[in-house]
Amino acid sequence: MVLFKEVLLPKCNESGGSSGYLPLALIMQYHIVVAVAICSAVFVDSRKIRGISLAYRKFYKEKKTFLCLDGSKIIPFDQVNDDYCDCLDGSDEPGTAACLNGRFYCTNLGFRPCYIQSSRVNDGICDCCDGSDEHDKRTRCPNTCRNLGQQERAALEAEMRAVDDGMHLKRQLIKEGVSMWQEKQNQLKDLQRILSGLQTKLEAHRKRKLEADAHQAKVMGVLKSPGDGAGGKTAARIFGQLDINKDGSLTVDEVQAGVVNLQDDRSLTEEEVTALLGGPGPADLFRFQQTLWRSLQAAKKVKIKADLRGDLGPPNEGPATRAAPSAARQGEANLKEMEEALETTRAEIGNLEKVLSTDYGSSREFLYLQGQCFQLVVYEYTYSLCPFSHVTQKSSTGAEVSLGKWRYWAGPQEHPYSRMEFEDGAPCWQGPPRTTLVTLTCGTETALKRVREPTKCQYIMELWTPSACEQQREARRRGVHSEL
Amino acid sequence: MVWFLVAGVLLVLNGVRAVDRSNFKTCDQSSFCKRMRTMGLDQSPYRAILETLELSDSRLTLQLINDNNKVRLLLELYRLQGNMTRLKINELKPLRSRFEVPDVLVGEPPTKPLSMVSRDEAGVVLSLGTDAHQLVLNARPFRLDIVEGARVLLSVNGRGLLAFEHLRPRKDTNTQKDSEGEETTEGAQEEGEEREEEEPGMWEETFKSHVDSKPNGPSSISLDFSLPGVEHVYGIPEHAENLRLKTTDKGDPYRLYNLDVFQYELYNPMALYGAVPVLLSHNAQRTMGIFWLNAAETWVDISANTAGKTLSGKVLDHAQVPSDAPQTDVRWFSESGIIDVFIMLGPKPSDVFTQYASLTGTQSFPPLSTLGYHQCRWNYNDQEDVRAVDAGFDEHDIPYDFIWLDIEHTDGKRYFTWDAANFPQPRDMLRGLQDKRRKMVAIVDPHIKVDSGYRIHNEIRSRNLYVKDKDGGNYEGWCWPGTAGYPDFTDPEMRAWWASMFAYDKYEGSMENLYTWNDMNEPSVFNGPEVTMHKDAIHGTWEHRDVHNLYGLYVQMATAEGLIQRSGGVERPFVLTRAFFAGSQRYGAVWTGDNAAEWGHLKISIPMCLSLGLVGISFCGADVGGFFKNPGPELLVRWYQTGAYQPFFRAHAHLDTPRREPWLFGPQNTALIRDAVRQRYALLPYWYQLFYHAHRTGEPVMRPLWVEYPQDVATFTIDDQFLLGRHLLVHPVTEQGSQGVSVYLPGVGEVWYDAHTFRRHDGDQNLFVPVTLSSIPVFQRGGSIIPRKVRIRRSSTCMENDPYTLYVALSPQGTADGEIYIDDGHTFNYDRQKQFIHRRLTFANSSLSSSNLSADSQFTTASWIERVLILGGQEPSAVTLRTADGSRSLEFEFDAATSVLTIHKPGVNAGSDWTVLLQ
Repeated sequence: MVLFKEVLLPKCNESGGSSGYLPLALIMQYHIVVAVAICSAVFVDSRKIRGISLAYRKFYKEKKTFLCLDGSKIIPFDQVNDDYCDCLDGSDEPGTAACLNGRFYCTNLGFRPCYIQSSRVNDGICDCCDGSDEHDKRTRCPNTCRNLGQQERAALEAEMRAVDDGMHLKRQLIKEGVSMWQEKQNQLKDLQRILSGLQTKLEAHRKRKLEADAHQAKVMGVLKSPGDGAGGKTAARIFGQLDINKDGSLTVDEVQAGVVNLQDDRSLTEEEVTALLGGPGPADLFRFQQTLWRSLQAAKKVKIKADLRGDLGPPNEGPATRAAPSAARQGEANLKEMEEALETTRAEIGNLEKVLSTDYGSSREFLYLQGQCFQLVVYEYTYSLCPFSHVTQKSSTGAEVSLGKWRYWAGPQEHPYSRMEFEDGAPCWQGPPRTTLVTLTCGTETALKRVREPTKCQYIMELWTPSACEQQREARRRGVHSEL
Repeated sequence: MVWFLVAGVLLVLNGVRAVDRSNFKTCDQSSFCKRMRTMGLDQSPYRAILETLELSDSRLTLQLINDNNKVRLLLELYRLQGNMTRLKINELKPLRSRFEVPDVLVGEPPTKPLSMVSRDEAGVVLSLGTDAHQLVLNARPFRLDIVEGARVLLSVNGRGLLAFEHLRPRKDTNTQKDSEGEETTEGAQEEGEEREEEEPGMWEETFKSHVDSKPNGPSSISLDFSLPGVEHVYGIPEHAENLRLKTTDKGDPYRLYNLDVFQYELYNPMALYGAVPVLLSHNAQRTMGIFWLNAAETWVDISANTAGKTLSGKVLDHAQVPSDAPQTDVRWFSESGIIDVFIMLGPKPSDVFTQYASLTGTQSFPPLSTLGYHQCRWNYNDQEDVRAVDAGFDEHDIPYDFIWLDIEHTDGKRYFTWDAANFPQPRDMLRGLQDKRRKMVAIVDPHIKVDSGYRIHNEIRSRNLYVKDKDGGNYEGWCWPGTAGYPDFTDPEMRAWWASMFAYDKYEGSMENLYTWNDMNEPSVFNGPEVTMHKDAIHGTWEHRDVHNLYGLYVQMATAEGLIQRSGGVERPFVLTRAFFAGSQRYGAVWTGDNAAEWGHLKISIPMCLSLGLVGISFCGADVGGFFKNPGPELLVRWYQTGAYQPFFRAHAHLDTPRREPWLFGPQNTALIRDAVRQRYALLPYWYQLFYHAHRTGEPVMRPLWVEYPQDVATFTIDDQFLLGRHLLVHPVTEQGSQGVSVYLPGVGEVWYDAHTFRRHDGDQNLFVPVTLSSIPVFQRGGSIIPRKVRIRRSSTCMENDPYTLYVALSPQGTADGEIYIDDGHTFNYDRQKQFIHRRLTFANSSLSSSNLSADSQFTTASWIERVLILGGQEPSAVTLRTADGSRSLEFEFDAATSVLTIHKPGVNAGSDWTVLLQ
């Protein structure tokens, strides 16, 4: 029994291309194929040795008797492959369909050898590419092994190349991931620092405002504040204007391109910009509001370049024209701005923390997918997959349905990062909420390749990404190369 | 994707609870049922006018008169070949002709001479062939009694419930009278009308928002039958009911009206998808049948009585029945048509089957592959899905023969077309299946999308072959495609055209391995009364009211004919239908409709299929797993185990349910399902042989125990176990968490062998059989021989040439017999060219031999005898095979623990003469 199962061979219908990792043992079999080709001349090709692999031929040497491979029974050798099952382990009928638990060895010269269930011998269906399983002559099976072998090798090579390319891209993605991660960490630190600064300031402001309000109320009665947060909006507009690459942060270059010296329209030096931005590195809107925006508003040193200013649209008021109407109003506007900034910062920190708490793979190779969405149109539906976020389906009529929100990695233990689970989408009529399972496949591009709905409201998507390429495929590549 | 739209339509229409009873009429809401049922049990107003009696060789005619309204009826009596009596009653001079059901009888039933024994003023006595069998006709009131010696077998109108609503002119339009037709009845009719006008619903009937215009007015008919000495009656499917019918005094009668019932309830007399108006009565002495040939809405009341209460008149001179003897009274009433009844006198159950088969034909002989396992789902989504499911069966080593496509495979529910996006290359898909020697069934429903861009619709419209509405326009209803027309399948021209649509060049994408499923053929009309067609819709000259229960039969008839024609008459067809009528057995298989994934539905699949088998429809099955809802693994496994031993073995699931292919419930459940399906495949030779017999004789494949043990009263109500043929007894596990089942093994002095362990048990006992999840309690009768093919392959076709293992189960007397039947499995050559092997296998005097049962047939098979198992055997000293070529000894082994003798490799061809001798 044990002996008989020693060599693990794939089933014939398993194609090397799609079944994933090919064990090294299989590669070895290519060599055995060659060996069989050489050795088979030594054996008489009779009915008796039909369906037996080379490794087992030694058990089937013509003798008076045959010992079932599990040792359970000795039968006359005549009864080997005589189309009647004698051995409990089926070992006396490797070449017929007589034993329910038997298996037939397809030599498949030129392709790869494999075992099929004995029930597939002489059933009118060609299973072995060499046609050896249909030996009762009722069914003609052409030998397709050579073609298959060529095809498979070509496919394997192509796949290997693709995996190579994919691995290369993956390494880059990992590298990018490292810096992105660092950047986000830094961002978080910055934000946290800003937040605590803001909180301190806000406290002080509030106190002052309370005092000012009390004073004002005392003196003038309650005045309605005309403040409407426009300052914040204008700041955002100008920020947007300066943020040429629209990445949500201002670099030194971007500031240099949009801000000049108030007096002589001279370009600013890097040091000046760094100072204006309150420190090195790109500044986001909040930091901009706290730093450069104030300088612009104060109109003491710098101003927006004339050619940019026109784009800002009406009312075309430079920061300098906005004189503070009164101390109370100024204070109120500041307070409001500050509260908003605090909120924004808190939200940003929350988002960032969420992003940073997500599992992006063992080398954060999937981090680059964060914040991206991938689309696929299937008939009248447009599917949109936003990894680590959500999945939607939009029909041509425009209705958008949620197919699930990001839950977790759902791959098997050995490949945890091969599947993503999205749950709790829009509920089906009278049914459970929609769910989506995304399988990640090694590819040289990142793209949504396939969407299926095998059971109603349970979607299965296939996402190609270099990050799903696996190192261990290298072994296979070596095998194929040595074969060629 | 697009499905939720469809599902939305379905659910909006039907709701999601169990059956919405308010969608379907109770007897009270069906005006004729109410009228008939409230009719008093007084003396019958009908009397026979003996002076009008005419007796030709085989036919007696006689006028009956209703003394209340003086309307005359014409009674015709025939003695039919094979111990049957036919009774027809029509109006003597109806205002218009009344509908008589065509195309159900296989021909005009051959008659036998009918002779008068005696005649006096009280009535006449006729001989039914032998001295013992007589028919006693009492004139006043009219009643008929069929007697055998001194025993009354059956009385007609014994309770005086004969009723015949004569056709009459509508009062408001009754200005000019047809003088001739009114001659004899005019005065009385006026008088009668006065009384009858009071009855509401005679000229118009409203149910929910639907108005039935009833232009022909009242037309219903009724007749009662008394069965002295009978306590058990069966049949009249289709109902979700026990095998033994219940009395209906306390509720509604059993209803026969083909309806698309959403989520039907169990143990309920409500009508379902099909109707076979055949009732069987049985007691230890005799089995009889009543076939009420009427296709209109029909109700059947059953009540328990004592014989003395209804015995009266002339029959008392001839026969006596103990007045306290039990009696079952059966009353039939139908909305229109005539009374046309066949009384099948048995006396044995098999005689009744033969008698009924002689009238309506036998089960069509299905292609062998259709007895394999069918994998269905609403829906397999696209070609890739089909390919993947097909591959799944190979990967998990589970055989199957057919994969099915439900409505979503079409282009917008336009039948005969394919969805271009999901099934762009149907022939490639079919070839892929063919390469695995497998087949496909695609649905073709009878509702046709009204769409001027749809060829099928345009042709039916231009040929004027649609059913018409009451105003003469094409009838339109709402079904899967939206607005749909309904072809008039009662029209032979329509059927011929429909059949021609299955030609390979007409049905694009079809191939030889594509077969057909007719669903929704009650017909289902989502926005019609009771989800079906309006009764005042018009089929040629008849109202839908007259033909309703026939519609589904005609759809399947035309489809089966199409599949035969496309092969030039060579290949046997396979068509599954949901709606059916008497005679539907001739056209294919039937399933029990939209059941649910509940234990109760699993359990009731047994009596539902048994009831169908009793009335000729052997090829019956229930959706394995349950159509609605979601089966847990245990229920699913038990359902596979049960389905594997029922004639039509198909898994099916609703669109909304999660996937449930056999390998989706973990390796352990996959293994259990695999084992059940494999048991089915091993037994296919026996199944095929049973279907051959059903086809030849009309005997049911799956039968109640009482059919084989008619004198064993203990079997009369058993419907949680059944027999397959005579030799196998099956008691599937249909209870959740079952630890064991109590199996009744019938037969005094008989023995049964556990089909799995070969353990021997005595008959005539209740045996407790402990069960595990893998158990399917099956027993082989001692005295039988069953051939199996134990090399299980991917499909039945792959097993074609495989050898047989014979299971010889010895009787206590050491004998056994059985049969083996072999042909090509798919053509009509077995019939037209007598290309088959039919052999008898006999074990007696320690020798097993195979002898030809059909000397004039010929067929060659590659199959041979691989092995013989003798259950309950003894250890021989030698085993010898004798053939025409001489003798040789065979290897054998004997297992003393189980008393099973296994004889190795006789190796003889399954079509040859041979003997195996034990010494």
